[in-house]
Amino acid sequence: MHPILNQRGRLVGYLLLWVSFGALLGAVIAVTGEGSLRWAELFAIPLAVLMGLQCLPCWYLVRGMAPAEVPAWRLVGTWLGTGCVLLSLWLTVAMLWLRVLKYADLMPSVDPGTLIPLLVFAGCVGILIAILGLYSAAAVERSREAERRALELRALAREAEMSFLRRQLDPHFLFNSLNSVAALIGSDATAARRMCLLMADFFRKSLKFGAQQTIALSDELTLIETFLAIEEVRFGDRLRRSVDVSEEAMQMRVPALLLQPLVENAVHHGIAHLLDGGEIKLSAKVRGSLLNIVVENSCDADRPSSRSTGLGLANVRGRVESMYGTRARMDVENEPALFRVLLALPATQLEAPRAHPDR
Amino acid sequence: MRILIVDDEALARSYLVEQLAGAGDVEIAGQATNGFDAVKMAEELPCDLMLLDVQMPKLSGFEVMELLGERAPAVIFVTAHDAFAVQAFQIHAVDYLLKPVEPARLQQALRRARERLRDPAPDRLAVNTRVAVAARPPGQWLERIAIREGTHVHVLGTHTLDFIEAQDDYLVLAAGAKRYRKQQTLAQLEAQLDPRRFVRIHRSFMINVERIARIEPYAKDSWQVFLSDGSHVPMSRSGYQRLRAVLD
Repeated sequence: MHPILNQRGRLVGYLLLWVSFGALLGAVIAVTGEGSLRWAELFAIPLAVLMGLQCLPCWYLVRGMAPAEVPAWRLVGTWLGTGCVLLSLWLTVAMLWLRVLKYADLMPSVDPGTLIPLLVFAGCVGILIAILGLYSAAAVERSREAERRALELRALAREAEMSFLRRQLDPHFLFNSLNSVAALIGSDATAARRMCLLMADFFRKSLKFGAQQTIALSDELTLIETFLAIEEVRFGDRLRRSVDVSEEAMQMRVPALLLQPLVENAVHHGIAHLLDGGEIKLSAKVRGSLLNIVVENSCDADRPSSRSTGLGLANVRGRVESMYGTRARMDVENEPALFRVLLALPATQLEAPRAHPDR
Repeated sequence: MRILIVDDEALARSYLVEQLAGAGDVEIAGQATNGFDAVKMAEELPCDLMLLDVQMPKLSGFEVMELLGERAPAVIFVTAHDAFAVQAFQIHAVDYLLKPVEPARLQQALRRARERLRDPAPDRLAVNTRVAVAARPPGQWLERIAIREGTHVHVLGTHTLDFIEAQDDYLVLAAGAKRYRKQQTLAQLEAQLDPRRFVRIHRSFMINVERIARIEPYAKDSWQVFLSDGSHVPMSRSGYQRLRAVLD
């Protein structure tokens, strides 16, 4: 869309600017040459308006050639060429106009030779001003576009977060857990109550952490502990686990709910397919500037390749990439009886607790 | 009515036991914690009805049904997933219960089972379809095949198969140096396998496309396909066209 042509008010303002440019030019002609101010203005103002109209199509060139994206020689070459064309066209019209005025006997005899240098100078200045003006209009439009895109991105991120939360509340996990509760009510009411509380705890934490971008690893671990405690009620001693996380790593910042899906995969695609169960190992250490996290589980050696684990892993990988870019890595090791996910995230600490909390 | 309960979760089993205790004519024949045991117990124990979980380690509920074939008792599936219902009724399951199991629904399913046991005719019809749809989650190709050899049950990933040969009324499945026999027709298996990976190249041969090493002309309108392990399989003219359609 043309910023000037598509709004009448702007077009009028733009042309008024050129009228004043013409008035100025007329004044200069009147002062330097012979003849009255009246004829000079009559000569100059229509020419200036013509110059303004001539420069309007330059917008399309301006928009196509952002100074940052186009090599300098092409930029200079294009504008020199365009400028020459515009200028010669304009000078030709100026000479014709001069002749028309003379023919209509509206002006004293003026030697065009004395006028030409002045007209060339005025034309160059006019074209230059027009191009610079259009460039600044383009810059404004670009920054508005960038702002709109940033808003759109934020909306997308929000949507991703919501769909992530929906996935988090896996209905089959819920149904199976509720089935365990139904079973326990008959035989062990205390255990049934404990299971209800664990489930409430798990969903509450999921919602709370899911609303945050990053949380402390220690928080993520409490969520995982709750999840595993629920699954232990279902799987009994088939599910074994060991957690080895250093004190330092506990305080590190991790994307919220990043590890929980990995542990969930480990249970549902690893342990659940083993007749005698298996072990889930989770470890985290800080090494230099990196936080190394490993989630590992035993699995069935002749399992079929599973589509849904692939999808879950792709989600985790996507989040890591969008959050850290090349500063983070994720590796998946798929051995016959062992499945391992290794994450290396930039080690960033949560803000240290404030020295004077009561202030 | 003697009932076999099959579920890998202890609590899910004990819940069913508890709910069945109320019904007077019910006797728990046994409890299996995985598919292998389920196959064995369903054959050895006298039982009329199986309460069968779908997702279990190694063998799924559908694979258990396939392996039991005609010897399978009446079955009620009990699972948290609603996605297998259509498949379940295709193999003429008596009912399909969702976890958590509602006691009234369970009693209703038991009533249906009693009716079915009084008049078992539809079950005979079910046998053929049972084999054809078993073990495949909806919308997916078969990824593993369950095979019985005497008392043994093998579970083969389809990716390990080199070729399949039809002989008389059974199939020979070749995986590396091993050969397995399975009672099934080639057409039935062909319908379940991913057609981009398994191609019927001959009236009685199907091959895993990934194993092809080279193809040599043998006679007019027939070829020999050499597999990467050195074995070779004949290919007919129409088989050649099917293979080209997949490879192009």
